[in-house]
Amino acid sequence: MTGQSVSARVVNSVCPYCGVGCALSWVVDTANNRIVEARGRDGAANLGRLCVKGRYGFDYTTHAHRLARPLIRREQSYPKGALSWDDNGPHRPGGPVDPQTVLPHFREATWDEALERVGENLAGIREREGGDALAGFGSAKGSNEEAYLFQKLIRAGFGTNNVDHCTRLCHASSVAALLEGIGSGGVTNIVRDIARADVALITGCNPTENHPVAATFMKEAAANGTELLVVNTRRPAIADHAAMYLEIRPGSDVSFYNAMMHVIIREGLIDADFIATRTENFDALKATVADYPPESVAEFCGVEAGRITEAALRFGRAGAAMVFWGMGISQHTHGTDNARCLIALAMITGNTGRPGTGMHPLRGQNNVQGASDAGLIPMVFPDYQKVDDPDVRARFEALWGRPLSPTPGRTVTEITEGALEGAIRGMYILGENPFVSDPDVEKVRKALARLEFLVVQDIFLTETAEFADVILPGSAFAEKTGTVTNTDRRVQLGRQALRPPGEARQDWHIICQIAQRVGYPMEYADVAAVFDEFAGCTDSYASLNHTVLGDHGRWYPCPDPEHSEGEPIVFKDTFPRGRALLVPARQSPPVEATDAEYPLVLNTGRVLEHWHTGTMTRRSQVLHGLSPEGFVEIHPDDAAGHGIADGDWVEVASRRGSIRIRAQVRDRIARGSVFVPMHYREACANVLTHPAVDPDGKIPAFKYCAVRISRLAAKKSA
Amino acid sequence: MNDTVSLTIDGQPVEVPTGATIWDAARAIGIDIPVLCHSTRMRPVGVCRVCVVETGARNLQAACVRPCEQGMEVRTDTDKVERNRRMLLELLLGDYPEPSAREVTTGDDALLALARDYALETSRFHRAGGATEGRRDTSSPVIVVDHQACILCDRCIRGCDELQHNHVMTRSGKGATTHIAFDLDVPMGESTCVACGECQAVCPTGALTNRSLQGLRVVVEEERP
Ligand code: SF4
Repeated sequence: MTGQSVSARVVNSVCPYCGVGCALSWVVDTANNRIVEARGRDGAANLGRLCVKGRYGFDYTTHAHRLARPLIRREQSYPKGALSWDDNGPHRPGGPVDPQTVLPHFREATWDEALERVGENLAGIREREGGDALAGFGSAKGSNEEAYLFQKLIRAGFGTNNVDHCTRLCHASSVAALLEGIGSGGVTNIVRDIARADVALITGCNPTENHPVAATFMKEAAANGTELLVVNTRRPAIADHAAMYLEIRPGSDVSFYNAMMHVIIREGLIDADFIATRTENFDALKATVADYPPESVAEFCGVEAGRITEAALRFGRAGAAMVFWGMGISQHTHGTDNARCLIALAMITGNTGRPGTGMHPLRGQNNVQGASDAGLIPMVFPDYQKVDDPDVRARFEALWGRPLSPTPGRTVTEITEGALEGAIRGMYILGENPFVSDPDVEKVRKALARLEFLVVQDIFLTETAEFADVILPGSAFAEKTGTVTNTDRRVQLGRQALRPPGEARQDWHIICQIAQRVGYPMEYADVAAVFDEFAGCTDSYASLNHTVLGDHGRWYPCPDPEHSEGEPIVFKDTFPRGRALLVPARQSPPVEATDAEYPLVLNTGRVLEHWHTGTMTRRSQVLHGLSPEGFVEIHPDDAAGHGIADGDWVEVASRRGSIRIRAQVRDRIARGSVFVPMHYREACANVLTHPAVDPDGKIPAFKYCAVRISRLAAKKSA
Repeated sequence: MNDTVSLTIDGQPVEVPTGATIWDAARAIGIDIPVLCHSTRMRPVGVCRVCVVETGARNLQAACVRPCEQGMEVRTDTDKVERNRRMLLELLLGDYPEPSAREVTTGDDALLALARDYALETSRFHRAGGATEGRRDTSSPVIVVDHQACILCDRCIRGCDELQHNHVMTRSGKGATTHIAFDLDVPMGESTCVACGECQAVCPTGALTNRSLQGLRVVVEEERP
């Protein structure tokens, strides 16, 4: 038996999916320009391990749907609107956008024509309406180099700070709380440091599905004696390894953590030295949490007072305790308050700056840390330097050779608002799919349709691209070289393994070409030179470059990369803001309380096999095969109350819209709430979600809105 | 207790931390002791025994699990060692499927590579109708299980338990019917397997292989840094 002979080479790179940042090698069939196998590599974050996405989910790169030529919208396809079907139900198969339904509305164009059109329109709006009528969405799926160039183009070329990305949708509130509390948004300790923790609080996250390889180290620590305290509203599989699993009611986080702090203070388990020397405002915190004894919040939180006390005692007595959190903390209208509580909890027990301690908001995207570091944020230049600080601005004006706007720009949700109102007229969207990822998609659709000019650069025809005037074909992660920064602050180099299909180009080139056409030439010898310019205007990355990063990368900060791996633990003696600010928080009501009409709380999130809006993973044969369709998870008691059986088609409706989807009856979800994964466009969770945002982080409340559920008539299931 | 111990391996002196295994010590001085069940990523278990060496003790010792002792004189290359390894390999090759799914796709079947090193072309130990003969499990979308190629080295089980901590795999059955199993011995695709692929990555034989490579013969031409 002889198989088809494949002559291959091995390319060392990094997994393109999640923030764990697993190092891997791709075995590349050079002649056929495809990856045939992924192998785990001995990276700092994974020690050779991979999860299903990293190991088997790379085939999207060579999917037939890849965009290979620039496209221009046909005259007859105006006014703009959605082009593909978007409903769902028993009679319709799910799946990503079918290009056959969308392509007839576009014609192929040369790069010259397409770029000319982009330049003319964007520059035209800038001249006519001013730079603030333009906006850009970059992506945490792009490299640091791409993020840096993208925000540079928007700021210096367009003349506005209206540049943001999906961090707004995941950890903006965590970052806001961390910046306020300690003056830095990065994690203090790497994931694997959990091996040295006595206790780890793992809250509002589902690591075995969303950070699978990080979860292996958590489970390993548990097996070696680290006590896990798992807090959630939907039982995550990591709870099987926990010393305690505490199922709290959705939205009761602030009360719960205030009660834990109440016990810790009452029992004298605080670290008085640490509080005295490294924090401020303890008295105000103490006064606030005094109002939250476990006995009085138990019912609201849905956890017995004794169990809250026990969790607090375990945490308070630990020699070293670590806190991990995810979107279950951040994606609320009080997400910043939730994070403030966790920061205070770590601070009053003296749990930072030592092995096995610290705060680790688990980052979702492979490069959400890096994209934020590189300045894809409306209020700050690279390295969190404020745009409204005149000294900072003067430095960037000198570096970029253009006057820069002193006004912080609009966030993701504010840009949508702006487009609706007509204040934002033109947009450049690189690799984001707000149509599926942002709250209240009906509103996003209207906003996108109202734009005078939209250019979308992506690797597939996304739902967002359906609203574009011009679509530019970019490259997949495996088709380019660039750095990404994982949840541990580890900067790692992804290497090009494949050629982009057809006429598709490297994204950093396309950004530079657009810059050229709007009259702001940006030229670089190669992508390493882009990194050097970026690193040069930050403290965190200052000493790094592509050569020194090599195959294994470094943790930043890393002043001496020739001899050191960088810092796995930061803030040993002081915080960037000096002392940590303890910010007390009070329980606030949810943005949309349940009532008789909409009695259930909707929670949204991800599943192991899929990634965000599914544009990549739903085009991977293996991943799609493992998880082909959306579902709504509901507790057996609630299901019985609604006459719903496992596998039934149901309608889930909120005040904003409704979707049709199959029910999964599972007892791991709390009574009174339902869960819908965000990946499936035909049953899009964000049709239902509420666009209200957290006042500090401006993050939408993806984890909380009121819905109702009803069984669809049986005759429809064919 | 001393922090280090000194010994000789094939006459070469070496000093290693207390508790280091003979295999580790040999590796430190560039002596290659063959292994199948052992991997530096996992706890050593000493089940395949191809790493046996002479230490002067009554029996041959499995180097991957045997701690070094002060003054030990280890021989890794005697006739007795070679004879034993050859016999072990021949036993492991009994009933081995032809072809091995790993050998034909990626060419890195470790059992066959070792057999070549020991100039073993066939095995005398064949048994028609063996318990695992022809037993394949193709229920997983990512991994093909060929029980006939399994040498019960337990790498997959340790990969699943101790690296990924998924606790899906185990051994089932006894005697000649012993085999690797998923959950309570259900087909892989119906088990709680999360398809991380660790078992396939650590398997040294054709027992657990990447399904998507079926029909390909991958030859890595150049290693790029
Ligand atoms: S854990 Fe994350 S980075 Fe690692 S292989 Fe899975 S998706 Fe990729």
